[in-house]
Amino acid sequence: MARYTCRRILTGLLSLFVLITVTFFLVRIIPGSPFQRGGVSESVVEAIEQEYGLNEPLFTQYLSYIGGVLHGDLGISYQDPAVRVTEVIARAWPVTASVGAAALIVSLILGTGLGILSAVSGRRSVKQVISAGGMIAAGIPGFAAAILLMLVFSVKLKLLPASGLLSPVHYILPVAALSLYPAAMVSRLVSSTLETELTKDYVLFARAKGLGRRQVIFTHALKNAYLPVINYIGPASASLLTGSFVVESIFTIPGLGREFVGSITNRDYTLILGLTVFMGAVVILVNLITDLLCAWLDPKTRRAYREERA
Amino acid sequence: MNVLEVKNLSVQYPGTEGASEIVKDISFTVEEGGITGIVGQSGSGKSTAMLAVMGLLDGRASVQYGQITVNGKAPAPGRNIAMIFQDSLSCLNPSVKIGRQITETVRTRKGCGRKEAAARAEELLETVGIRNPALRMRQYPFELSGGMRQRVVLAIALACEPDLIIADEPTTALDAVVQAQILQLLRRIVRETGTALLLVSHDMGVTAAMCRNVYVMHGGRIIEEGTAEDIFYDPSEEYTKQLLKDAKGGRLREKEKRNADDPESGEEALIRMTHVTKIFDADEGVRDVSLEIRKSEILALVGESGSGKTTAARILTGMLREDAGRLYYRGRIPQRGRRMDSFGGKVQMVFQDPYASLNPCLTVRQALSEALDAAVRLGGHDAGDADARVAGHPLSEQEKEERIRKILALTGLSYGDADRYPHAFSGGQRQRIGIARALITEPEVLVCDEAISSLDATTREQILELLFRVQRKIGFACLFISHDMHVVRRISDRIAVMYGGQIVETGRTKKVCSDPWHPYTKLLLEAVPEPDPVRAKKIKSGPVKEAAGTDQSDAAEACCPFAGRCGYALECCRRERPEQYAFGDRGVSCFLYSDEHSGRRSGAYRMTSQI
Repeated sequence: MARYTCRRILTGLLSLFVLITVTFFLVRIIPGSPFQRGGVSESVVEAIEQEYGLNEPLFTQYLSYIGGVLHGDLGISYQDPAVRVTEVIARAWPVTASVGAAALIVSLILGTGLGILSAVSGRRSVKQVISAGGMIAAGIPGFAAAILLMLVFSVKLKLLPASGLLSPVHYILPVAALSLYPAAMVSRLVSSTLETELTKDYVLFARAKGLGRRQVIFTHALKNAYLPVINYIGPASASLLTGSFVVESIFTIPGLGREFVGSITNRDYTLILGLTVFMGAVVILVNLITDLLCAWLDPKTRRAYREERA
Repeated sequence: MNVLEVKNLSVQYPGTEGASEIVKDISFTVEEGGITGIVGQSGSGKSTAMLAVMGLLDGRASVQYGQITVNGKAPAPGRNIAMIFQDSLSCLNPSVKIGRQITETVRTRKGCGRKEAAARAEELLETVGIRNPALRMRQYPFELSGGMRQRVVLAIALACEPDLIIADEPTTALDAVVQAQILQLLRRIVRETGTALLLVSHDMGVTAAMCRNVYVMHGGRIIEEGTAEDIFYDPSEEYTKQLLKDAKGGRLREKEKRNADDPESGEEALIRMTHVTKIFDADEGVRDVSLEIRKSEILALVGESGSGKTTAARILTGMLREDAGRLYYRGRIPQRGRRMDSFGGKVQMVFQDPYASLNPCLTVRQALSEALDAAVRLGGHDAGDADARVAGHPLSEQEKEERIRKILALTGLSYGDADRYPHAFSGGQRQRIGIARALITEPEVLVCDEAISSLDATTREQILELLFRVQRKIGFACLFISHDMHVVRRISDRIAVMYGGQIVETGRTKKVCSDPWHPYTKLLLEAVPEPDPVRAKKIKSGPVKEAAGTDQSDAAEACCPFAGRCGYALECCRRERPEQYAFGDRGVSCFLYSDEHSGRRSGAYRMTSQI
């Protein structure tokens, strides 16, 4: 298992390196310069570029950037030279991550609960309501849901604040907008896989040996039904934790997503790169955790990992 | 005194055309401390009736009954009544450790603590004959062999401390030797704990070996009841007589004669493999196996699950590549590359599971013509084939249609079935489709991998008869893989017995079955219960194999694979591997037949059984 984890971390680092390289050169292809704007003369731009080393050959710049990354230095923001990129991340990520984590927890609890209800309920109407609700929730695009929620709850009803993240109440709308889709997906996955698991022989046998209904569902069927859910929730949580550009912009949340959009319009090379590297690392890490979780749930996968030869 | 009393039980399922009655007004009792049997074909409503007794049928079924009581009380699963099922792999939760699955039962039943439950679970595992219970409790179901899993299931049933255990086809998925062990274990449990057992089975032999009282079920009704002796020696119903006849098996052979008379058939080797070895990480590998399929013969390959039968067959058909050894097709080494192709479609397979081996999206006609097209395409590659009936030119639509019509008639299907999809057919009919699909290409070798194992006795009989009839008519060679000695004995010309990845004995079926030489063959033959209560009850089970797969380890490489279970094991059996000793057309891998043991002999020496 340790061997497998090590191998995965190594390949993760390798993909991170490829990611940096590709992003580095792609960013330089974007026309324009970080310092070019109305009223600034060519010569001034050139002078500043020289100051930041942007006049050097591309490959030299690339090497020095890689060198910096290896030392944990993502450079300084070209837009605001007083701040380092790492500081931007340290400021913006906790905001994004707290909203994302809240959305993740809400969608897991809501989705699993509704999924179980739909799978074990004997009443057709319950099933139909949950499945129709899930379909609608999964069908509405994130930005539409965000604007709708804002319109209904803060503009019309004036119940909830529409922007910022000053108090826990401020979290409600963005978290709702973010968790709508994953909650619907989780609920659909749980209900369909659980329904399949419940028809299996081991469930019948568990009932034959006298276990209660609750024990059969939670300790037996759900454990097997949850594998596909974990496989979905892994990538989904990666995207939640790295922030939604749209939802953060609508609710004016000072998170990573907003920083990212801003950095691209500003051609802030180092910030774009730094954010990409960071998000890439989060995605890779979350995927690794997902696979380890699957192995923990499924003994066959675990054995396959353990026996894997390098 | 009766433990279980069931009176007037009926079960209906609502269908599209009104309710269908699966169980029709049946009444039966189970005696205290005894074994009662319910026997009948699959689909006779046995399992549904048992689930109804347990109260475990799903909400769609409507159950009516006059009385269902266990010692006068209502049945409560896990308290006074427990049940074990056929497939031990699917009825244990795949992702929960064995230990937990037992202890949770103990804790639910007794409401005791973790430690106490664990101690009790170990005790139960020892009761059902599992050595090293502490280790087993930390393992998952897929890490155990089939026999061991069924023991675990039984341990769980015993953890309920019930008055009655219902065993629904408990040994159907196991091979004969393991079956005999489980049956003996069940008997011992009944004797020692006083728990009554209700044994549901389609196997007349198993029923005869176990039961004091027997009920015969057919079409949802109990049509005959009585003591085992009454039912087996003096059946009154036509249906029971038919069941017994099917179980005893009308002899399928006028073939012995034919083979002896016809010098041409049965001598020329179509496919031959010599000293073939293929090792996997887990088990099911083969070691130093030599085997040949001769023209127009039925060669049976028998052995327990995991003995390497399927691996050997896959190498023989070119689906797997051997690690070492040689393969010859009509005396030539098939060209490298995709070997299945180099046989030119002359080797076809029929698989075990008729439900999984047909594509549900293709009609019978599509499946058949697809096979035909593939054979035509491959046939073109093998231009040197003298017998190129399908080779070369593509068939016209009429020719194809004609072939499809002919093959459907041959396999006992109607031409009208051609446009139907697999789901419209029963298991037996699907297996006919599988056979039709294999035979439409006019193969030289047909490989049947446990092709009838998942069918019930009567359907099995029909398919067996079909295979036999068609084989005699067309004259293809057939490799028939099975764990069932009973079937093999009746259909095959020659037999090869496998154990632990090796062929331990080969020879003419008649000779091998009437006079087994290798101790394992003997064990295998004795383990099959006959539908005769007196004889079947005499079966002793052989020694228990410790764990699946362990005998393929490096340490075991240097000894006879059967040495650990063999009553005749010599010292040399544990030190080195016996080679194959040939005597005429028989071969046996056992030191008892070596020169050293049986003494020097002249060329005219006639070997006889040493056991």
